Amino acid sequence: MGLANLRGRVAWVFAEDDYDIDLIIGVRNIKITDVQELARLAMSDAEPGFAATVQRGDLLVGGRNFGYGHPHYPAMRAMRHLGIAGVVAESFSPGFFRGEISMGFPLVTCPGILGAAQRGDAIEVDWAAGQVHLPGRGQALPLQPLGVAERGTLEAGGLIPYLKARLGRTAATPPSKGTPA
Amino acid sequence: MTEKILARASGRASVQPGDEIEARPDFVISYDFPGYTDVFFKEAKEEFGVEKVATPERYVLFIDHMIPAAAPKEEELHQNTRAWGAKNNVPVHERKGIGHQVSAELGYAAPGAFIVHFDGHVSQLGAFGAYAFGARKGVLEAYVCETVALRVPPTVKVTLTGTLQPGVMARDVFHHLVRVLGPSSCAFKAVELCGPVIDAMSVEGRQTVCGQAMFLGATTMLIAPDAKTLAWLDGRQRLDVPPVHPDADAVYERVVTIDVTDLAPIVVVPPSPANTRNLADHLGLPVQSGYLGSCASGRLEDLRIAAQVLRGRQVQPGFQLHVVPTSQAIMAQAAREGLLATLVEAGAFVSSPTCDYCYGRIATMADGQRAVSTGTLNTPGRMGSVDSEIYICNAAVVAASALEGCIADPRPYLLSTEGAA
Repeated sequence: MGLANLRGRVAWVFAEDDYDIDLIIGVRNIKITDVQELARLAMSDAEPGFAATVQRGDLLVGGRNFGYGHPHYPAMRAMRHLGIAGVVAESFSPGFFRGEISMGFPLVTCPGILGAAQRGDAIEVDWAAGQVHLPGRGQALPLQPLGVAERGTLEAGGLIPYLKARLGRTAATPPSKGTPA
Repeated sequence: MTEKILARASGRASVQPGDEIEARPDFVISYDFPGYTDVFFKEAKEEFGVEKVATPERYVLFIDHMIPAAAPKEEELHQNTRAWGAKNNVPVHERKGIGHQVSAELGYAAPGAFIVHFDGHVSQLGAFGAYAFGARKGVLEAYVCETVALRVPPTVKVTLTGTLQPGVMARDVFHHLVRVLGPSSCAFKAVELCGPVIDAMSVEGRQTVCGQAMFLGATTMLIAPDAKTLAWLDGRQRLDVPPVHPDADAVYERVVTIDVTDLAPIVVVPPSPANTRNLADHLGLPVQSGYLGSCASGRLEDLRIAAQVLRGRQVQPGFQLHVVPTSQAIMAQAAREGLLATLVEAGAFVSSPTCDYCYGRIATMADGQRAVSTGTLNTPGRMGSVDSEIYICNAAVVAASALEGCIADPRPYLLSTEGAA
């Protein structure tokens, strides 16, 4: 099973380094659980009406260390609800990366994307070729390959189906030399 | 060190950076929080049929957020956590303090241990030579599988040389590392910290530094155990593993030496923990509240230096100074040393340990207010209104600022009270 390629438009470019994703919905709103409400709030501080501009399959573009700070889940829940299919960034903060991959949400590390992609550009992530294409600009940038478990998690659609499959294998449990007292 | 720990935890003779492994955590640590533990318990049961964890001795739960509860829903969450613990034979520690500190006090940190949590500040157990990292919601894996999948990170070795000046604390050292190295400098890497400054640093100071590893992008931060570590752990350690030390010929991805002799107190200005600045450039900025506490600070040395600044003086009228010792054990010791009396007499509001001040659940700030804080984070809205501001600094700076009602340098106060204790 291979990962489905992502194809859409660049819905937003987060040019800042160390971007705190809680700002997408506003820190004051991170306790909201209703996903429709969250989706309505997404980027509304920066651009009222953003939600209506997103088409299913669109991607976000980020800078270096995207997801820095204490990232919470509502921001990307909101984005997924709007139809955002993934984030392509210069680099990610590790906690954010592991957390969102667990959700089955593709994060693509692609150095150079920030200078290359503009909002509204067509963008395609070709996993097999290991490239991010910007067809309108005739550009292709190499992406950093996912680890085996990360890829498996995305292929399965998230951590729960991935772990179900993993537990279905006759996985050998490594011995532990440590003995809790 | 990382490679040795992860090799043992994955049952391999050795591992290399980049290896994809499945490693068995020695301990799985969590605090109860909506959307995390309640979901793990539910999903483990409903999705994976896990009625009870197979090895309860590897799990521990803390109730340190929403404590004391302020709404029935919060107490219901705690009830659910207590019930899950009782059913699973997993200890639930509540009202003992902030879990990252209490887990050290209870012996879950051990040199060479492999530990997972959903909260990345668990990296502070690296002060004892453990590899402890936060997997966010991915920690569900540790509730339903024996092992968690991870890629062995490369290690950056940071050697700290020189001598810290009076009034310069572990907190300043960490944020100086962010300034010198950069907030993403150690992304997806482990940091090994060493050198004369670390040798001379207290165990508490090491916890402070290691606990903030995420703000360098690091997965975790470790310090090799020394006599100080082993003395601290004596009688507490629950895991019988050989202590792990770095090899003399260990291979690092990067080796950095930083001299901290000229380091002066810092502030981390809003809106991001990436923004380390010199305290000297921000003196005199009006502040209305101060928070001394959290898993990052709020330990004895923080309380002692705050008491030294505040002894015989009075907090500026109207200034809200909240002092929250990190654990009950620390609070009791502070009481024995007379620190609490000094702080209270100076006008501090002293509370029992809880995480709740750090994220604005209580002592919530209004629009336009500004705080000095030893909490973990300075994102707008972290401690209340998104239109309030948080300046992160060391405990002495919080105390001095409380006296002046503006961001203040603690060093004149420390000089004038030297020897007075």
